[in-house]
Amino acid sequence: MSTEGPPETRSVVLVADDDRDILDLLAFRLGRAGYEVVSASDGEEALRLATERRPDLAVLDVMMPKLDGYEVTRRMRADEATKRIPVILLTARVQEHDVARGFEVGADDYMKKPFSPAELRARVQTIIGRR
Amino acid sequence: MIQALQIGALVLAVANLLVLAVLAIRRAALARAETRALQAQARMRDLALALVDGEPVELGGLGDDDARGLAVLLARYGRLLTGAARRQIAGFFEGRGDVEREIAALGDRRAWRRATAARTLGDMSSPVAVPALLGVLRDDPEREARAAAARALGHLGAAEAVEPLLAAMTDGRAPRSTAGGALILIGPAAVPELQRLTDAVDPALAAEAVELIGVLGDAGDAAPLIGLLEHPAARVRAGAARALGRLGAEEAAAALRRALEDRIPFVAAAAAAALGQIDDVDARDALLAAAAEGAHELAQAASEALVLVDPDALTAAAAEEGASAEMHEAADRVALRAGALR
Repeated sequence: MSTEGPPETRSVVLVADDDRDILDLLAFRLGRAGYEVVSASDGEEALRLATERRPDLAVLDVMMPKLDGYEVTRRMRADEATKRIPVILLTARVQEHDVARGFEVGADDYMKKPFSPAELRARVQTIIGRR
Repeated sequence: MIQALQIGALVLAVANLLVLAVLAIRRAALARAETRALQAQARMRDLALALVDGEPVELGGLGDDDARGLAVLLARYGRLLTGAARRQIAGFFEGRGDVEREIAALGDRRAWRRATAARTLGDMSSPVAVPALLGVLRDDPEREARAAAARALGHLGAAEAVEPLLAAMTDGRAPRSTAGGALILIGPAAVPELQRLTDAVDPALAAEAVELIGVLGDAGDAAPLIGLLEHPAARVRAGAARALGRLGAEEAAAALRRALEDRIPFVAAAAAAALGQIDDVDARDALLAAAAEGAHELAQAASEALVLVDPDALTAAAAEEGASAEMHEAADRVALRAGALR
């Protein structure tokens, strides 16, 4: 099966969620779109992988064990090595203050769950394309 | 006599052993079936992901275990996805005739089968099932089936189910938590219908609609709720205050300050809590008065609101002679928190 419009060099996308099904869906869609996907199942692992792999973008679930998505984003922004990595937050909570909190800690965008894989791919492409 | 007792004991011991053996065999069989199911899901994962993604996949020749594994995965994915991916899942189940079969089973004479069919339809992501599920929610004689239909309508995100769900919630046809959970699953799409229902003649229905707007809506939905602080039914006024607080509706501050004077204590208490949530410093004096002199529920809510609005003013007021127990309680927590932060 072919990838669709693969980037010239494979950009790395970190995806973090404690739901295995969501990780599979994200990894499959972004993998098909030509990205290299690294997966984490909790906030601590996400932060470690962000530091080690320096991905081109991170898609983080808000509600994760150990560290939530807000805290991972905040710590990424506080670290010189990861502060410029764009972050998309995936959240089941869509009220204004939840979204505002995401932007306050430095997220670049957010998507609500349930989500559309095609829409997520488009947003990932847009943000990585801007860099 | 003794011999008869010995024989009886032996029979009982053998019977016990037989029961234990049957249980052990059954448990082993269930464990094997579970392992087989998980293995089938692992085998089917890539196929399911490709199908959800709209890639052409060959489904012919799947064994029973694999077909079931694929259906389980797609049902799980359906709850996580929207848009074209979800339509792919619905198309899969419709194409196999599963949706039609389960809709027919909603008319089964056995209640458990009707409930199972409703649950299964909720997992199939197909909007085709919505009218039949609405029928079950409205007319089925068994609560178990109605609850399953309510849950399924939520999973399907059926905006047309908002009023029937709200009605089922208030008249007890479905468990409150189930119908409420279904409305939350429908999400912001439910808000326009909920706004219409705030005018309902039945105050219980109107109050539930108002509360849910606070849960599902956003700041843009707050303005129409402000007028409801003067609704004739106290539970609607209280619901409006809670919703406005949850939505962070700063534009409702003046109306909420007026609602602090409501003659029903639980309405005034809801207004006090909302003023805290929107951090209305102009309400400080009114909150201090309510915390000092109000009935217990109001004094407690006002004291809690002051923790957010002006903790220093609360601490100072609590130190004065004659301060209420509720003010002391809240001020102690302010002090505790300040100590923890140092």
